[in-house]
Amino acid sequence: MSGAANMTMTRCDWFNLDILGARMRISRIAAVLIVAAACLMLQSSLTLAQSRPPELAANSRVIIDYIDPRLQRSQATMERLKKRQVLEDLSMFLSPLKLPRVLRVRTKSCGQVNAFYVPAEWAINLCYEFYENLEAIAPNKPTPQGYTRDEVIIGGFIDAIFHELGHALFDMLNIPVFGREEDGADQLSAFLMLQFGKDVARTTIKGAAFTYLSAKNPRTRTEFAAEHGAPAQRFFNYLCLAYGGEPEAFKEFVDQNILPKSRAESCTREFHQVRRAFAKTILPHIDQDLMKRVQSIQWLRPSDGKQ
Amino acid sequence: MNGITRLALALALIAATLWAAPLQAQPTFGPSKPGGPEAGKPAPGKVFRPSGSETAAAPALPDGDWGNFLVDVAYNEPKDPQFLPIRERLMRRQALEQLRLFLSPLKLPRKLLVQIDQCNAERRPYQPGGAVTICYEYIAKVDQTAPRNQPPDGLPREMMMVGAFVQAVLHEVAIAVFDVLEIPVWGRESDAADKLAGFIMVQFGRDVALKVIVGASWFFDASDRAWSETDFASEQSPEAQRFYNYLCIAFGADPASFKFLIDQKMLPERRAQRCTNEFYALRLAFAKTVLPHVDQQLLKRVQAATWLMLDEPK
Ligand SMILES: [Zn+2]
Repeated sequence: MSGAANMTMTRCDWFNLDILGARMRISRIAAVLIVAAACLMLQSSLTLAQSRPPELAANSRVIIDYIDPRLQRSQATMERLKKRQVLEDLSMFLSPLKLPRVLRVRTKSCGQVNAFYVPAEWAINLCYEFYENLEAIAPNKPTPQGYTRDEVIIGGFIDAIFHELGHALFDMLNIPVFGREEDGADQLSAFLMLQFGKDVARTTIKGAAFTYLSAKNPRTRTEFAAEHGAPAQRFFNYLCLAYGGEPEAFKEFVDQNILPKSRAESCTREFHQVRRAFAKTILPHIDQDLMKRVQSIQWLRPSDGKQ
Repeated sequence: MNGITRLALALALIAATLWAAPLQAQPTFGPSKPGGPEAGKPAPGKVFRPSGSETAAAPALPDGDWGNFLVDVAYNEPKDPQFLPIRERLMRRQALEQLRLFLSPLKLPRKLLVQIDQCNAERRPYQPGGAVTICYEYIAKVDQTAPRNQPPDGLPREMMMVGAFVQAVLHEVAIAVFDVLEIPVWGRESDAADKLAGFIMVQFGRDVALKVIVGASWFFDASDRAWSETDFASEQSPEAQRFYNYLCIAFGADPASFKFLIDQKMLPERRAQRCTNEFYALRLAFAKTVLPHVDQQLLKRVQAATWLMLDEPK
């Protein structure tokens, strides 16, 4: 599949070159050659890693659980997530991560549309209500701006997982967070979305952005006192990091003035800021060989986001 | 809602208590707590001036090799003559020379130029490897915003002027420091710079914290505006968010001294509950990323100096 080869190129690009070799001032041509060589080596060692290879073990420090829902109507939601092996996939996805303690990740009924990291329990709670709400707000046919149903459900759900994972990592790894932690968690989420090629990046970033686009912004003065940024701020933050990391794949958002030029100008720099934060604070806790294998897997399936 | 009106009551209250009693310095960071709380004893008659730079009897700041050698400062001559009085005022107060002294504990790997310049905008964002710039236009805006006819028991307009100036300088320097020291920053850089600036503001005792944080927040309050959809695309946060962020740092650092923020409903209870934890996170970030680049001996000296005197020489 030519798509798979393309995605491998991009993946190699981000981690091997951009993150680890950012300080090496090599020419463009040399860079392309190095990436190509690295990709060849990767591919020969991995042969065809298009779908989940059985040898990629789950992270033994991630304990997953699908908790029975309180409401009957969430039963079907749980069954769907179970059948899709969402948490099993997540545990495998996290296999490169060296955690100092056990992280619990569970799907459950929360009584509200949300997802949480609970520091006292070292646990991420993904609420059935949140997933059901995504299915409710996802457009049945593509919106005029081009957001599709699959993108909203896939991107929105992965964003919730990655955002909470951000809180969990900041806490468990004692990571310095200078800015607003909520934005830091969003940045980690967007950054992870950008590590699996252009297609995955577009699906997940667009979906995540849509969820903030449809939320209500603060109006009164005291609403600005909230610990989260305004949904509109978060919307632009995601698009900006995406454009900074994958200018080609997200150029249309600038061309259509969805991401204003004034902000777009700073997006490369914003992406570099996040990449540096990731490289300095999280990468030391990651097994790089395993990470490359995780990056070579096609995590999304054509059936994802469908009922 | 008119911010100035909303704040007036609370500010009058602070004004009434601010200079009434000798204030205790409450240094809050570092592996070891610096001992000398001489900071924060008001000595009227000077503005933004460590006492050591003028009087021989002053404590802590010695003559001679003081100031960060790697920090250069410049008051560039503005093309527009309307900014000349601002330039003269800042030069007279040695505002940037004070900053050089203030930054002396910071171990920089390269030279850093801090300049005041005409930008034809209120702000000239720092570019990696470049200079830190404070714009005459920004200072002029603060001057215009600071109310001239304050009631006798109200806060002096100089409080806003000094607070907003110190805030802007520390904010811009923080962004440069993130770049120069290659500090990992999670969260938006501009918010992170406010956090670092706020953290520094509360390291010099209650007196300095009150003056600068209240002064800076007062300016954010007074320059608050309605934000529409595309405004939210800005990499800067809305004035209202920055207002609350600074107050939250102050309350998180010293709940006793800043309890009035909650009593006066300036800081909503819901946010206030989180400020202590937010401050711990900020302190952790500082300790892990910036503190390794700080000379502890010099830091203690800087903390022991008297920095911010509000009363403007008229
Ligand atoms: Zn969160």
